[in-house]
Amino acid sequence: MAAIGADEGYGHDDKPAFFARWFYSTNHKDIGTLYLIFAIFSGIIGGFLSFAMRAELAQPGIQIFHDLHTYNVFVSMHGLIMIFFMVMPAVIGGFGNWFVPLMIGAPDMAFPRMNNLSFWLLPVALICLIISFFVQGSASGNGFGGGWVMYPPLSTIGSPGPSFDFIIIGLLAAGFSSIFGAINFITTILNMRAPGMTIHKMPLFAWSVLVTAFLLLLALPVLAAALFMLMGDRVEGGTGFFDPARGGDPEMFQHLFWFFGHPEVYIMILPAFGIVSHVVSTFSKKPIFGYLGMAYAMVAIGVVGFVVWAHHMYTVGMDVNLKAYFLAATLVIAVPTGVKIFSWLATMWGGSISFSIPMQWALAFIFLFVIGGVTGVVLANAGIDTALHDTYYVVAHFHYVLSMGAVFGIFCGFTYWFGKMFGVLYNKYLAALHFWTFFVGVNIIFFPQHFLGMQGMPRRYVDYPEEFALYNEISSWGAALTGVSVIFFFVWVIEALIVRRKAPDNYWGEYANTLEWTLSSPPPYHQFNTLPVYKDEDHH
Amino acid sequence: MAGHAVEHDYHLIPPSPWPFLSGCACLIWGLGMVTFFTGLVQRTGDSPMLEFFFARGLDTIQGREGAGGGWIILAFGCAFAAYVMFAWWRDVIREAEAGDHTPVVEIGLRYGMIMFIMQEAMFFVGWFWMFFEAGLFNKARAKWDTSILTNAPAYADSIAPGITAINPWHLPLMNTLILLLSGTTVTWAHHALIHNDRKAAKWGLGLTVGLGIFFTFLQVIEYAEAYAHRESGAPWLSTDIYGSTFFLATGFHGLHVLIGTIFLAVCLGLVLKGKFRPEKHFGFEAAAWYWHFVDVVWLFLFAFVYIIFGFSI
Amino acid sequence: MRLISKVALTLTSLMMSGIAMASQPKDGKIGFQEAVTPVMEELIRFHHSFVFPVIVAITIFVMALMIYIMVRFNEKANPVPSKTTHHVGLEVAWTLVPILILLVMVVPSMKLLYMQDRLPTTEMTIKVVGHTWHWEYQYPELEDKVEGFESYLLKKEDALAAGKPYLLGTDAPLVVPVDTKVKVIVTSQANLHSFSVPSFGVKMDAVPGRLNETWFQVNPGKEGTYYGQCSELCGIRHAFMPIEVKVVSKSDFHRWVNNGGSFSTNVAQANIAAPAAAPK
Ligand code: HEA
Ligand code: HEA
Ligand code: CUA
Ligand SMILES: [Cu+2]
Repeated sequence: MAAIGADEGYGHDDKPAFFARWFYSTNHKDIGTLYLIFAIFSGIIGGFLSFAMRAELAQPGIQIFHDLHTYNVFVSMHGLIMIFFMVMPAVIGGFGNWFVPLMIGAPDMAFPRMNNLSFWLLPVALICLIISFFVQGSASGNGFGGGWVMYPPLSTIGSPGPSFDFIIIGLLAAGFSSIFGAINFITTILNMRAPGMTIHKMPLFAWSVLVTAFLLLLALPVLAAALFMLMGDRVEGGTGFFDPARGGDPEMFQHLFWFFGHPEVYIMILPAFGIVSHVVSTFSKKPIFGYLGMAYAMVAIGVVGFVVWAHHMYTVGMDVNLKAYFLAATLVIAVPTGVKIFSWLATMWGGSISFSIPMQWALAFIFLFVIGGVTGVVLANAGIDTALHDTYYVVAHFHYVLSMGAVFGIFCGFTYWFGKMFGVLYNKYLAALHFWTFFVGVNIIFFPQHFLGMQGMPRRYVDYPEEFALYNEISSWGAALTGVSVIFFFVWVIEALIVRRKAPDNYWGEYANTLEWTLSSPPPYHQFNTLPVYKDEDHH
Repeated sequence: MAGHAVEHDYHLIPPSPWPFLSGCACLIWGLGMVTFFTGLVQRTGDSPMLEFFFARGLDTIQGREGAGGGWIILAFGCAFAAYVMFAWWRDVIREAEAGDHTPVVEIGLRYGMIMFIMQEAMFFVGWFWMFFEAGLFNKARAKWDTSILTNAPAYADSIAPGITAINPWHLPLMNTLILLLSGTTVTWAHHALIHNDRKAAKWGLGLTVGLGIFFTFLQVIEYAEAYAHRESGAPWLSTDIYGSTFFLATGFHGLHVLIGTIFLAVCLGLVLKGKFRPEKHFGFEAAAWYWHFVDVVWLFLFAFVYIIFGFSI
Repeated sequence: MRLISKVALTLTSLMMSGIAMASQPKDGKIGFQEAVTPVMEELIRFHHSFVFPVIVAITIFVMALMIYIMVRFNEKANPVPSKTTHHVGLEVAWTLVPILILLVMVVPSMKLLYMQDRLPTTEMTIKVVGHTWHWEYQYPELEDKVEGFESYLLKKEDALAAGKPYLLGTDAPLVVPVDTKVKVIVTSQANLHSFSVPSFGVKMDAVPGRLNETWFQVNPGKEGTYYGQCSELCGIRHAFMPIEVKVVSKSDFHRWVNNGGSFSTNVAQANIAAPAAAPK
């Protein structure tokens, strides 16, 4: 095993030279690594912004953002960067690129060159967003402060400066990056599976990426159209899509945005589902329970996810019957999601669980995602949502599914595949330190925010009445702890990269039985020059 | 999993500069877009050099005095992007000739093209959604609050100040026929190619490209008319929601016609150079698929934007 | 399972106690602000007596299962893993049970929704216009008596002087009579805003070019001052356009109307604000 790759195809020695390898890359593993580095970089920026916000909110009164506008800019940028430049690149671009081809036994992605285009559009997009920080936004200052949802009129007449134009360009670039990525993944998965691997024997992570890719393919173009409309409205003497004085309707943007926006949230969580499935199975030493149910639950989530968007718009003055429909449709999603949760539990049931680092992340993921999910169900009830909409209850909800769902999924995959990707093992005590501080930290940040929300504290507030002081202070302390924890993350990564304990091919044992574990760690520059023949031992 | 030589038919590509350069082109293009539509600096006059390049380029189009070269960056970005695409596709064609496109790779290309057309379709779904929402509920919205909606227009009364809606039975009908005809000619070319009748293939493709160009030409005339007849000084794109949807929906369709035409033209060039074999000509098929897609979108535009809503009053 | 529902109930009651008599946010409290309208009462009832217990039960159920699994099925306790990967009964169960729970949930949820949304025959109308960044209140039916007025945030020192909470208190509260079905028409002049009064169970976006309707009826005996805040991002001073509603007895309200929108000083003080007097 270990021998293979040493001198096949492009062996280790005839890897392209540094510049060609990292800038002109057509290798899915290198591109995946680029994505991961990019995601970590964005994570630092997005994290920094959020910590600044928490510092501001630590107590009533204005601490940092004396011009008020900059706070809104931070909030908006935090949301955009975390979603488009941290989570998506990490789970889809990073892990997807690295492990979809390996898991399905393919030598590379279907369109290696387009794959690299998908990546290079992202730095371009991020540069645009960073520029937008420093150029005229609204009359009140630099940067765009209209929230990550970019509702007009705040994003049209509300911010006339070039700042928001840069954000439009940036999001268009990021959007097309994801669209090309989606085309690539769909083609790869449908067309390049190893002989014998039928779609129903495909590992669940590949399934999750397949569903995610379809969501991207169908949701993002609508966002692109909406962004072009904003562009047109911003041009002087331009269009009037969202301008009531010209027969337009600001609310129409919200429909277009959320038609993309809701699938987007499942785009962020589905790959995490896939990762967690493998981790749970590996460390319970059992095959995944109810494989087909798991796969089709994700399909169901994807499909239903397209018809629930207006649950973000319960208070805009929609017709009550429409609200009733979206209420019912939204509740439906709880069912397939429940199937996944319980299937994970059933996979562990009767297993022989070893609590290694990835498993700890996975267990925490399951529990915290359930909390975030059920608060989502509360919000889905349009009646209750009138009390909770645009309060910190919503903030708490989506951080439980994002900052604890998606991000825990990311760390879970990162700790699971670290040795496979970089060929070195990490110190599990340092990694555990990172896990526990992060786990405690984020819960301290976001659990009290439920109470703030029910007491009525609105979102996107730079300053709040003394009545909200206590929980805000607790939350900010939690943020401080989380900040320290992010440092621990870098500590264990750097330690592992410096000490270089060689990772064996399969360091998790026989139950890590997807194809990537049959290769060396790290895998040869070009794997599967002879396609593996997939014999079914009911392992998914 | 022993064995060292590559024993599969997939297409592994050596490192390529084009994706990275596309990124650079995209960055310049984006900078150009912002400069053109909004401008990075105000025109104050105290740093002429900067303002020449970075003040709003739109002023040039609108013929403001003192307007500078705000369009230059955008133009450069587009040129750069065009070059990269050219080079990229040249590589693809070379690989195709080198026989890299094995059957399995070609299936992949088909998947890819289908997915790409799907996402294009969703893009237009966005525009039609906007269009129908505005079309069906516009009058209702106009009644909500007249104190705020002083001049809420009856939908589609005018596509631009001073012009009533374009009569669908003139240029638009013409365009419809043109596109339908081009749909048939491209199919003719395809069959000719399959039966290795190069001459007919050339004719079919040539005609298709010609019709495509003719369509664009008529669209330009239509816009020019609309622009010329508008009240002087009125907003140059449109005044009301119908005008907005009209111009951007048809505009983006026009853009796709242009892309399709270029795509077909490239294929024509290849046919003239004697490329494409009866059993293997996916490049051509992709172009044809795309062309049919553009055609269908137009039929929707014609039926709804021009006839049902545009012409009802 | 009984244990679970017990815990859920105790938590619920805890939240109930938490919210006792909060006509404005109270520090360190969990749960909603006090409900003073039928809608908000219904909302809280639905949440506390159904949705919340259900989600707590589900969360605790999952947590309990996980703890049991971790204790019972870890390497030491269970060295040899089982091989089961299918159990039709189970899979059907955990699909059907959630469906049932949701079916039961959807009924009262719809009831609440329609109660909120379907306006009863209202007795008076107020029009709320969101400005960047303050609120304007109009009484269309009483126009000849009360002219519309604008309501601004009170500066910190003024708020303290007037004995109102900073960032909630305004110079000119919206005045409404108790026990009256009030129709609220919400619109905006430039940006999006959202008119929200937690204790009333009211939150309605203010959208330019659009007249949104909602309603409330303050229960008898609930005269007093209630606070809310703009709940849709509207730009730089989004956090600084609070909503203050002064609910008075019907007789006081008539006096207020007849005095052209001001109380004779003995009733209240901090609200003789004609638009002119409004600080910028
Ligand atoms: C990863 C991202 C993610 C995920 C997975 C979800 C999942 C869900 N979300 Fe969330 N949501 C967001 C990200 C996400 N959301 C974001 C970012 C926002 C705010 C956007 C903004 O305004 O800025 C938001 C806002 C948001 C709103 C709007 C709130 C408001 O603005 O007023 C609503 C309302 O319906 C909602 C509902 C739901 C529901 C019902 C689910 C469901 O999918 C949850 C399903 C899961 C479970 C239910 C738990 C597991 C199931 C079981 C254990 C079975 C048994 C359970 C039952 C029978 C109930 N979400
Ligand atoms: C994935 C999305 C995501 C993530 C992870 C976070 C993480 C955090 N968010 Fe986030 N937040 C949003 C998405 C996210 N947020 C969105 C969409 C909004 C709404 C914006 C709007 O209103 O418009 C929001 C709004 C928001 C608010 C409300 C602001 C307001 O309304 O006024 C607050 C306030 O406390 C907050 C705080 C935090 C904090 C303290 C964290 C901490 O958890 C941060 C800790 C740091 C990290 C989690 C980064 C670590 C990750 C890496 C270093 C990368 C690792 C990568 C690999 C290993 C490959 N956020
Ligand atoms: Cu007004 Cu927010
Ligand atoms: Cu949603």
